[in-house]
Amino acid sequence: MAPNDRLISESLQDSGDADRPSHSADGVDLTLIRWMLSLTPLERLEVLQQHLRAVARLRDANPHL
Amino acid sequence: MPTPTFDFLAILRAFAEHEVDFLVVGGVCAVLHGAPLNTFDLDLVHARTPENVERLLQALHALDAYFREHGERRLRPDRSHLTSPGHQLLMTRAGPLDLLGAISGDRGYEELLPHTLPMKLGDDLQVRLLDLATLIAIKEETGRDKDQATLAILRRTLEEKEKK
Repeated sequence: MAPNDRLISESLQDSGDADRPSHSADGVDLTLIRWMLSLTPLERLEVLQQHLRAVARLRDANPHL
Repeated sequence: MPTPTFDFLAILRAFAEHEVDFLVVGGVCAVLHGAPLNTFDLDLVHARTPENVERLLQALHALDAYFREHGERRLRPDRSHLTSPGHQLLMTRAGPLDLLGAISGDRGYEELLPHTLPMKLGDDLQVRLLDLATLIAIKEETGRDKDQATLAILRRTLEEKEKK
């Protein structure tokens, strides 16, 4: 299973995070942090690379940007 | 500039295969620690000893590295570049790579090494990266806008890690 296939909602349910705040006082989305921490370091790197490749594909799809 | 490939893992593997002494810093370091951030290049601090620079040159040759600001001219980094404390902004066949002789003033590999930890990436690769507290401290020191923008996420990531 690719890291992005592990849904954030599943991660929250699995770890019992539903009772914890979703955002910090300074506005940081803590659910994303908890999800990233549920991954292995290699999976975190794969998430980053998937995001970058998606951005590149979008940019290549519109040569006028 | 053509759209680059983004395969940071391939760069790290090439460095490991050539036994280069290096530290992962910057945005990829933050992501490896679990911070939900995006970054478009891999920042590495390398040891500037003559032996390590020779190994580094071999790794960069394998990665077909060149200075990305010179575009089509494909200028290659040489020993003099890699022994300096400066920042070499490179493009490789596996993506953008910033090789940093020193960061945050004059802190190079030897000075940063005590503030690093090993991290396994899969079964066959281990890298050393700045610990998250030091990464935060360095970004606080530099005070650049782009660093300030990520500090809140890094601080909250450190807090969440400490709860685990």
